[in-house]
Amino acid sequence: MIEARGLKKSYHATHALEDVSFTVESGRIVGLIGPNGAGKTTALKAILGLTRVEGELRVLGLDPRSQRDALMRDVSFIADVAVLPKWLRVDQALEFVAGVHTRFNRARALEFLRRTDIRMKSRVRELSKGMVTQLHLALILAIDARLLVLDEPTLGLDLLYRRQFYDILLNDYFNKKRSILVTTHQVEEIENLLTDVIFIKHGRVALESSVEGLAERYVQLTVNPDDATRARALQPFYEREVFGRIVMIFEGRTAAELAPLGELRTPSIADLFVAKMEAA
Amino acid sequence: MSTSTAVSSEDVPGSFSTWLASHTLLRTFWTLMRREFWEHRSLWMAPLVVTVVLLICALLTHGAFKIDTTDTLEWLDPENKTLVFALAQWGLTVPFYLVMLLAVNFYLIDCLYAERKDRSILFWKSLPVSDGATVAAKLFVGCIVVPLGTFALALLTDLLFTAIWNARAWLGHSSELVAWDTVAFLKTQTLMFLGLVISILWYAPLCACLVLASVLVRRNVLLWVTIVPLLAVIAEKIIFRTSYISDLIDYRIGGIWKSLHVEGATFGSVTNVGLAEIVSLPRFYDRVHVLPAFTNIDLWLGLIVAAACAYAAAWIRRYRDDG
Repeated sequence: MIEARGLKKSYHATHALEDVSFTVESGRIVGLIGPNGAGKTTALKAILGLTRVEGELRVLGLDPRSQRDALMRDVSFIADVAVLPKWLRVDQALEFVAGVHTRFNRARALEFLRRTDIRMKSRVRELSKGMVTQLHLALILAIDARLLVLDEPTLGLDLLYRRQFYDILLNDYFNKKRSILVTTHQVEEIENLLTDVIFIKHGRVALESSVEGLAERYVQLTVNPDDATRARALQPFYEREVFGRIVMIFEGRTAAELAPLGELRTPSIADLFVAKMEAA
Repeated sequence: MSTSTAVSSEDVPGSFSTWLASHTLLRTFWTLMRREFWEHRSLWMAPLVVTVVLLICALLTHGAFKIDTTDTLEWLDPENKTLVFALAQWGLTVPFYLVMLLAVNFYLIDCLYAERKDRSILFWKSLPVSDGATVAAKLFVGCIVVPLGTFALALLTDLLFTAIWNARAWLGHSSELVAWDTVAFLKTQTLMFLGLVISILWYAPLCACLVLASVLVRRNVLLWVTIVPLLAVIAEKIIFRTSYISDLIDYRIGGIWKSLHVEGATFGSVTNVGLAEIVSLPRFYDRVHVLPAFTNIDLWLGLIVAAACAYAAAWIRRYRDDG
């Protein structure tokens, strides 16, 4: 679905993307995860044809730089929860999307809205932030797109709305013919959702893997301080102290090698993210 | 929660919306135009307010329009009645065009700026609508739909106003000043319509420049489109002691009307034709020729400039939100 090779982008003296390469297959939910300023939004903008970028880039077989108009028939995105115009009425929003998008299913959008307290005649400015997100989601998820791109979609929303957002995404929208690419700061919140992760750091891809692949490649070991030296001999790429014990993360080590030293588990995506970001 | 509005506007077989549904490009353009009227409600509300005010005036005014009966006899001379009728039509139209001028200008400088100001640009860009179609729809609304709509509304108001006045005259509420005259009506409206068409064509480059400014300028578009030309004029005067810029602005604002040919006089010096000529309005109309305005090459060259500005606006909007 997405094929990116050697993407480069600079804003004045800052390198937002330096040689970024990744692939997104169909039927996947991919988390593009990185700290602020790592280049996540720039990468998404490149995929959506919203920014000029160097390198090879194909999205659904099209080049977003020269074929953006055709691409947007199959790609939906929510860039930010606050971008619906304040003056727009809910019924006008439905009317507009139905008027410009051949793949918009108005009945489906109405079905989403029926589950909310949103009134048809309300203007966006009269809705709460959570309601605006619900409306935006109802509009976007009623479009039969092949790729959905979400950039920090739940920023500023309370826990209830965030949970609801991802539930709808997973249960009502996602299927094997579609892919979702999502960026977020709140890794914990989406880690059960993802099938793949891409970590991005200083404009470079720090890790690209399926979630199953992570379990095969990475192991987290918790050891007592007495065993720490023996464990360090096996070259963990990250360690930290928790309640007097030491937590280490290893790449490419087998359970058989590490099991005698302490407790083993698969690191969570959040733990792995912190480890990868803090590792040199 | 009510969902009736959205449901009731579902396509009805044989309706306009069904026809549109099968023409994707037209449907997109139609939707883009509707969107402009949703956002910029002054475009349709302002002319409507003028209609309401004028019709209220037609119903209520008495003292202001009352003519002394001794004078009325003189005014009831047929040629003078035609003159009053035609002048009333022009007079009723003026507030419409003044209001439209304000509404359209503010609309054009705001149309591509507002979406960046409220950050909704990314929502619009998340839908399969090209930048070219977006810019074209905005220009089409500002330059063609609103002027033609205003013309139609002014025409309707004129008819209603005259009907009310005549009804009141018939009932004895007012003097029979604005008596109906079909020939004068058709001539006046034709001339107004041709004037409007000339205006649309002549001012298209100015409109497109405003749209370009609205996409180009980061903030305070109004300030930019007023102060920058003014500073350019002053700077040219001081530095080069010439006035090319002010001459150009002058020409692009009023130049075309000098092309209108009035037998025996230029339109610009119509006041010199003499009162005798003006009061004979039907004869005056017969002597106005609009063809020279259409054969003015600058009218058509201006359209090329307008197209270039529109193209530039679409090109800039392509990456406009990209910091």
